[in-house]
Amino acid sequence: MKIRVFLGTGGVGKTSVAAAAALQAALDGDKCLVLTIDPALRLRTALQLKPGKGQQKVPLDSFSTKGELWAAMLDVGATLNRAVQLYSKQEQADVVLKHPIYQLLVASLAGLPELLAIERLDQALKDGFNTIVVDTAPSRHAFEFLDKPEFFVQLVSFPVVQLVGRTYKWWERSPLSKLSRKSLELYSRVESLLGATLVRQILDFYSVFFNIAEGYADRATHSASLLRDPRTTAFCIVTTPLKADRDGEYFLRELKKRRFPVKSLIMNRIWPPLESSLSPDGPPLMQQAVEWYRDVSVAHQRAWEKAQHEFGNRIPKLIRVPELTQDIDGLEALHRITQSIGET
Amino acid sequence: MKKPIVVFCGKGGVGKTTLSLAFGLLHARVGKKVVVVTSHPLSELAVTVSLEGLKEADAAAAANLFIIHVDPRQVLARTVKEQVRSSFLAKKVLNSKIYQSLIEVAPGLKELAFLARLQELAEHPSQEDLIFDILIWDAPATGHFLDTLKVTKKFDVYLTGPFAAKGKELTGFFSQRANLSLFPVAILEEMAVQETIELCEKLRYEVDIRPAGLICNLVSPLLSAPEEVVENLSEQFGNAGAGSSDLEFILGRHRIERDRFDELHSSIRTTFHTIQRVRNWKSDLEMLFSLAGCLGKIPLGLTL
Repeated sequence: MKIRVFLGTGGVGKTSVAAAAALQAALDGDKCLVLTIDPALRLRTALQLKPGKGQQKVPLDSFSTKGELWAAMLDVGATLNRAVQLYSKQEQADVVLKHPIYQLLVASLAGLPELLAIERLDQALKDGFNTIVVDTAPSRHAFEFLDKPEFFVQLVSFPVVQLVGRTYKWWERSPLSKLSRKSLELYSRVESLLGATLVRQILDFYSVFFNIAEGYADRATHSASLLRDPRTTAFCIVTTPLKADRDGEYFLRELKKRRFPVKSLIMNRIWPPLESSLSPDGPPLMQQAVEWYRDVSVAHQRAWEKAQHEFGNRIPKLIRVPELTQDIDGLEALHRITQSIGET
Repeated sequence: MKKPIVVFCGKGGVGKTTLSLAFGLLHARVGKKVVVVTSHPLSELAVTVSLEGLKEADAAAAANLFIIHVDPRQVLARTVKEQVRSSFLAKKVLNSKIYQSLIEVAPGLKELAFLARLQELAEHPSQEDLIFDILIWDAPATGHFLDTLKVTKKFDVYLTGPFAAKGKELTGFFSQRANLSLFPVAILEEMAVQETIELCEKLRYEVDIRPAGLICNLVSPLLSAPEEVVENLSEQFGNAGAGSSDLEFILGRHRIERDRFDELHSSIRTTFHTIQRVRNWKSDLEMLFSLAGCLGKIPLGLTL
């Protein structure tokens, strides 16, 4: 089993690179799923994915392989519903679905995909894929995808929340509530600070959500340990020439801090070296334009050399992928990136 | 007259942070006090690296340009400290796992805290805050930016309590046109153009905000060249043999650029501005100054 996680800031071509790596795995004979949790859902362009259809097999007829390539977009609603229905009783499910916090969760994409990505990873493993390629959301959320489940596990395992979760309704009405309150002084302090209603609504929701939450916490712990295991998982930092030193340092530091195994840095979209020049009597506008192209290209070559120098002994594999002169409109164009990347 | 918060927004990688800084420099150089607000640690890192040596290069600009990195967790922590008089108890709450976990999993809470701080800076900066002339928000990428703008309404609609009240207040503030001058930034590539078109639609229909103008960033000098001149480009390559793949690359990139520009232009009705990619520079700072120069020549239509 292989898990490959692609990280990078926005606009570096992370999604395409992840899809290209998945194609490589499929060509090597794996049953591979590429999973995008990016709310912008951009993988669909390259793989002609349609939203709301779950995971879909990408036809590989033009390649001779026994492997399979599947692609899926993280569908927040569907994944959440599936989890609610799997792990709660019918009447609980109804309470969850009508709860204001549930509305807030579903309506607000900020944060939820990160929680669900782990859930989805677990589902993918159950579905029998032996390679899973995860295309993470752009940087801001990327680490939340890795961190949030752990905060969630912490919250669920915290004794007060367990107590409140299990006994919340009963406790509210019981004559013991005053006595209990005393022992929960810290909790009530947090409550009065963030606003009693907000905290209660959150806890109330998570108390009903509890069966799901406990199961989720177990799965999240399991997924997190898989993600830390270098025999299974490799993290790949995707960047572009002019962002490479900054992105490289940042992601390397953050991944190390979290004990995730870093395998490669992929410098995407390097312009080719441009050597020719116009005949000297050409119009000045054209001279300038060609010079401009050449200057940008030179800057790219320098960035690659610098990255080799900076990261060569800290990241096992540095990979360069050339800029294409056409959009990635299908598998053939994607395959060209695959050839540059090789095995991740 | 009240001044708007200037916002550069758009897809990741289009140059929002760089433009925010260049725009800040442009005004800081001529004596205006400028504050750039960012919320992401990577942007913060980028900013620090980019502004290295500013003091030596331009003392006036360095003295007038301020970068504020807003960490929503700190904003929330400040609320806690204000409400709990005893610093011992405040510390205890802030260090408790339940508080720390709760603010992480409460959806939208951090976004709300960020907006509250932004509004505070714009409307009634506290005594510790500086007095400034221009406030720039280096916004997060499209999806998260829209989620952030929408979160105030969600708190207002679905919840009750002090945060819901704050949500209502913020919804009012950010929906007033005088309070925000929004500049979506695009680069001329398929995904970025699609996302910019979607962003403008969603801004209009979901949060009722219209852009003050649109910036096409990182364009090549060929974009503005007359089409027939570009067509003649192949003839002007002296030695066709060595030049052919180079020519192919340049023409290929140009075709994409031109098509994407047309697509953007036909889909979005607002004022368009283009900014050429700075082609070579020795330091980030040099690049920022040259970009500030470009921005200075563009009539953005702001009264600052």
